[in-house]
Amino acid sequence: MVMQSTTAGLPHNREKAGKRSFATAFEPWLYLSPAMVLLMLVLVVPLIFGISYSFRKFSAFKSEYVGLAQYQALLHDPNLGQALMNTLWWTVASLFFQFFLGLGLALLLDREFAGKKIVQAIVFLPWAVPSFLSGLTWAWLFNPIVGPLPHWLYALGIQSAPTNILSNPATAMWGPIIANVWFGVPFFAITLLAALKSIPGELHEAAAIDGANPWQRFTKVTLPFLAPTIAITVMLRTIWIATFADLIYVMTEGGPAGATNTVATYIYVSAFKTLDKGYASAVAVLLLALLILYAIVLIRIRKSLVRAS
Amino acid sequence: MASVTISNVQKNYGAMNVLSAVDLSIADGEFVVLVGPSGCGKSTLLRMIAGLEEISAGEIKIGERVVNDVAPKDRDIAMVFQSYALYPHMDVASNMGFSLLLRKTAKELVMNRVGSAAKRLGLDVLLQRLPRQLSGGQRQRVAMGRAIVRDPKVFLFDEPLSNLDAKLRVHMRTEIKALHQQLKTTSVYVTHDQVEAMTMADRIVVMHDGVIQQVGTPLELYDHPANLFVAGFIGSPGMNFLPAVVSREGKKVAAELTDGQMIALRPELKVEDGDRVTVGIRPENIEVGGEGLKAKIEVIEPLGLSTQFYTKLADKQVCIFAMGRTDRGPGDAIGLGIKAADVHLFHGVTGLRIA
Repeated sequence: MVMQSTTAGLPHNREKAGKRSFATAFEPWLYLSPAMVLLMLVLVVPLIFGISYSFRKFSAFKSEYVGLAQYQALLHDPNLGQALMNTLWWTVASLFFQFFLGLGLALLLDREFAGKKIVQAIVFLPWAVPSFLSGLTWAWLFNPIVGPLPHWLYALGIQSAPTNILSNPATAMWGPIIANVWFGVPFFAITLLAALKSIPGELHEAAAIDGANPWQRFTKVTLPFLAPTIAITVMLRTIWIATFADLIYVMTEGGPAGATNTVATYIYVSAFKTLDKGYASAVAVLLLALLILYAIVLIRIRKSLVRAS
Repeated sequence: MASVTISNVQKNYGAMNVLSAVDLSIADGEFVVLVGPSGCGKSTLLRMIAGLEEISAGEIKIGERVVNDVAPKDRDIAMVFQSYALYPHMDVASNMGFSLLLRKTAKELVMNRVGSAAKRLGLDVLLQRLPRQLSGGQRQRVAMGRAIVRDPKVFLFDEPLSNLDAKLRVHMRTEIKALHQQLKTTSVYVTHDQVEAMTMADRIVVMHDGVIQQVGTPLELYDHPANLFVAGFIGSPGMNFLPAVVSREGKKVAAELTDGQMIALRPELKVEDGDRVTVGIRPENIEVGGEGLKAKIEVIEPLGLSTQFYTKLADKQVCIFAMGRTDRGPGDAIGLGIKAADVHLFHGVTGLRIA
């Protein structure tokens, strides 16, 4: 009797235990599922669709699968090479000035002075202006008929005549870059100021007693504290600038003669002007790949810096 | 090593006066503790010695040199902060050697000095660690080490033990004292804890509202407090205070409490009949079950070694500290004995000690 009951009980128990372990393993995924479904819907699904478009050719009423034809076209596109170089120039120049001006502003705002609150509000204002509006405003500022800038540049002797720098292929890129610097400085000023505020005052005092001069205090105390913030903001900002088409499109539409055509504006033009969505998607995938590569390199550098220090 | 001389030093923030006319001489090799409640100006005074706060008026000398306009790094001082202020991205060795490296000391010498300081503080196995990998007590030691590698003329301590738990605080207290006995460097130590002040100081400076109340050795302050503030601040449990009126009949002088009971006073005290005074008695100077005053027990705190009684006397709570144990209970009426020699007498209005 006893034997029978045990043998009969065994498979039943095992089945029960199996069920329970499955339930235990499944339970966390159940709780995570709303977030995962949401992530899939808003992140992964559009990404897959976007990438799949790059394998198709679109015309007015139909689309067809063309394999890697769009990517082959990329290789032979003379405009794309220029767009890549323009993107590099646009990103590096914008980032350079945004970062150093933002850092300078943050350091200035980190000390007490009369009227600090007003200055702070003014500094942060460009960030709140819609990019289309700032693009239009800057385009007008550079226009010699309505804007003062060409006349000032002429008066200072920088220009030989009060002309629109946006209409000269050699100088046109400077227009959107200046507008972008104006637009992006507040971002660095805000984030770096927040990081500066987190440095305990006693550290600077200890360094002053230890014998550090202001420059040494900046390099040995302030910069190490800012480094993690700098790494992450520079990475984010690079990606945002590289994919930022609004300002350029509003100010120059990528012209004149493609002089301000970046990859981001090129994607827009390909998709909505020439209506080649497939090709636009292929260019977008290329940009995505380049930016992911950049992010990986930057994160590697940051990790090795952290380990070294 | 050097003396520190503070003459008529003042500190104002706009119209607000934080320190008014402070005079203090600290001898070469002395361990002086500045003590007082928060906001009394003790940290401000220390930071002025360090050069972290400007001096509004007066003069501070380290050794024979006036340092009013000397930068902190050129004053030859070292400071230990409450938060320790260790550089978070540098390991222990770099933290300790930072000031020497900035002063262009040869690398080998820096290593030697850091090594011997680390050994002295028991940090030699932690030299490669970052501050965040250390415990509170270890960080405190690194902060001490950073101060001693420089071999400065003066050590400044700004509440260095406040961030430690009670047990570690007691331990580090004795360690700092032992370190001072070895190094004999002039030290100025700020704390709000009178026990720290009593246990560590050669001399204590009691401050209140930006004014020095009294300067003296721990026992001088305990036995002869200059005013009500010092009397109440130094000692734990604190001194009991009872308002009274002096009654003098020939050679017999006594203080009459608000309920008419009398406490005998020393006849040589300079008081007249009818003077309003405050009687101060330390808890250990009251004899439970003695002759003289009648009081009622409210609370008993048995501590094993000793017992603390909280009694009601003339409508005031009076704390009594007695060795040993008791079989009395709350609500019991008891007699209290107080010797005339143990009574501290303070002026009823000014609060100054009456000798």
